Amino acid sequence: MAKVRCAWFDFTSCEGCQIEMTNFGAPFLQLLDHVEIVEFREVMKETTDEPIDIAFIEGSFSREEDRARLESIRERAGVVIAFGACAATGGINALKNHMDMDDYKKCVYGDDSNMPHLDTQKAMPISAAIKVDMAINGCPMSRDEFVRIVTQVIHGTEKVYVPSYPVCVECKLRETVCRYEEGDHCLGPIALAGCGAPCPADGIPCEACRGMVVDANQESMEKVLQENGGMSEKRAKDKSRMFTANFRSDA
Amino acid sequence: MSGYYIPSEGLQSFAQSLMAKMPVVAPVAKGKRFIFDQLGDVAELRLDYDTTVLPPKKVFFPPKQDLLEFDEGKATSCLDPQAKVLLGVHPYDIKAISMTDKLFSDNYADSNYLANREVAVIIGSNVQTPYERAFYGSIAQDLELVGHDAFLTKISDGYVLDVVTEKGEKLIADLGLADASAEQTSEAEGVNAKADEDCPVKLPFAAGDVSEKVRNSFKSEIWDELSKDCFSCGSCNLVCPTCYCFDVQDEWGLGASNGKRYRRWDGCLSSEFSEVSVQGGSENFRENRAERYRHRFMRKTAYLNDKLGAPACVGCGRCAGACTADIADPVNTITRIMES
Repeated sequence: MAKVRCAWFDFTSCEGCQIEMTNFGAPFLQLLDHVEIVEFREVMKETTDEPIDIAFIEGSFSREEDRARLESIRERAGVVIAFGACAATGGINALKNHMDMDDYKKCVYGDDSNMPHLDTQKAMPISAAIKVDMAINGCPMSRDEFVRIVTQVIHGTEKVYVPSYPVCVECKLRETVCRYEEGDHCLGPIALAGCGAPCPADGIPCEACRGMVVDANQESMEKVLQENGGMSEKRAKDKSRMFTANFRSDA
Repeated sequence: MSGYYIPSEGLQSFAQSLMAKMPVVAPVAKGKRFIFDQLGDVAELRLDYDTTVLPPKKVFFPPKQDLLEFDEGKATSCLDPQAKVLLGVHPYDIKAISMTDKLFSDNYADSNYLANREVAVIIGSNVQTPYERAFYGSIAQDLELVGHDAFLTKISDGYVLDVVTEKGEKLIADLGLADASAEQTSEAEGVNAKADEDCPVKLPFAAGDVSEKVRNSFKSEIWDELSKDCFSCGSCNLVCPTCYCFDVQDEWGLGASNGKRYRRWDGCLSSEFSEVSVQGGSENFRENRAERYRHRFMRKTAYLNDKLGAPACVGCGRCAGACTADIADPVNTITRIMES
């Protein structure tokens, strides 16, 4: 079987998901028997204008001028995979989406905020610009899920099963004691699973870095954050904004 | 069959001698809760546990279980039953195991469950600390306590071990346990006879009345009200000792022709549970959360009663505690329906 040509590209992001790849070790090296990396600026100088089998795109779509580059990747790629939370959901970049551009520019860049290249639009998933075939979600993306999905794709599977249930399921399956039972809070009930729930298992509340499940009960979540998590009404309302701005009822 | 006496200070050495024979899975502390886990250090054993996060069925029916591996078109079963002792199972969980035994044997014998079940020796134990949400004292009362091999009852100065099967007798035959005296046996009987009285929550309705009323409420709008805060997270299903549904998935391996098939606990509260493929697309036959919530109560209080001889609920209270929105408690829901 010919090796599958893979390339990585980045847009509005910290490139942490690509860095996560380089931390990977054994399963990734095993994958190299089956894939050929033709562009990946975190690990190599070479780039390509040739057709690609799988394009992994990191980062959100937050500037109109990025559209042409996204479209050119789409044209050359057999499969486009949104790589990590920013590309899949808009991720943490979407925190600014409910704010005025002048406000967040000033807040982040201070006196330099008038430089023209800092003009951005709402941070959106790359699916807002091009057709995306599948997503490897998470902040950073889950390495186990990466191997699982890529393994299915190189076999030619067109639709890879990914869970649609919330993180609570994965906590139960690994018998993690619920954060709420430990007197903490957690966004697990509305957070999309697939990560294997490593954070609550380490005693850290889920922040819903993969976004929300479809039909998430946000009203009930706010109630639970207040009644069981001890939060004020405002904090409970704002709590889920960090990674889920594009999912919220007030988006 | 026969009763033995184990002094309080002899419990750990009893467990230790079982561990010398085979792995022992028993309640141990985890954070503020307890879980069934393989004992590494006998000092971890906590027979004073209230209840565990997951029920002991996980020993026979793991949350995620590889079923078969395939390569070049040939499939190999992943079944590899390992004999073990399941120690400290509360009576409500013994009843639940007798239900899953039946559910996994009827019609189609599920070898992936039964093979693990057959090699396990179950030693029950009485509830020393009732779980605050438990209502086992007022549900599934007609169901006989069977399926275990021995039962430990805490008495004032130790434990009485009742051995009820040959499998149990074989396990402890060479441990040199002392016979229980008539006084000890009668004290243990007394403890077990009043066990249900100490159960914190009561469900004050007869199973037959509940079954009828719940069925008749199928079209009621009450389900919308009861499920308003539901997250469809399925926690109530996943911690339930009588739930037995699972999803099966195939996955390719990295090689060109190999892969595996596994199953994972699933539950009717999850939206994808009722999603089916229809003519190239998909259809969900329980699309909204009220329908899914209702389905669980139909299953627990009505649909399986004839098959099981009791409702498919043993009153452990795990679902009540696991539901962050606190809407899953059968006592609250059944009461609300009975009073509607």
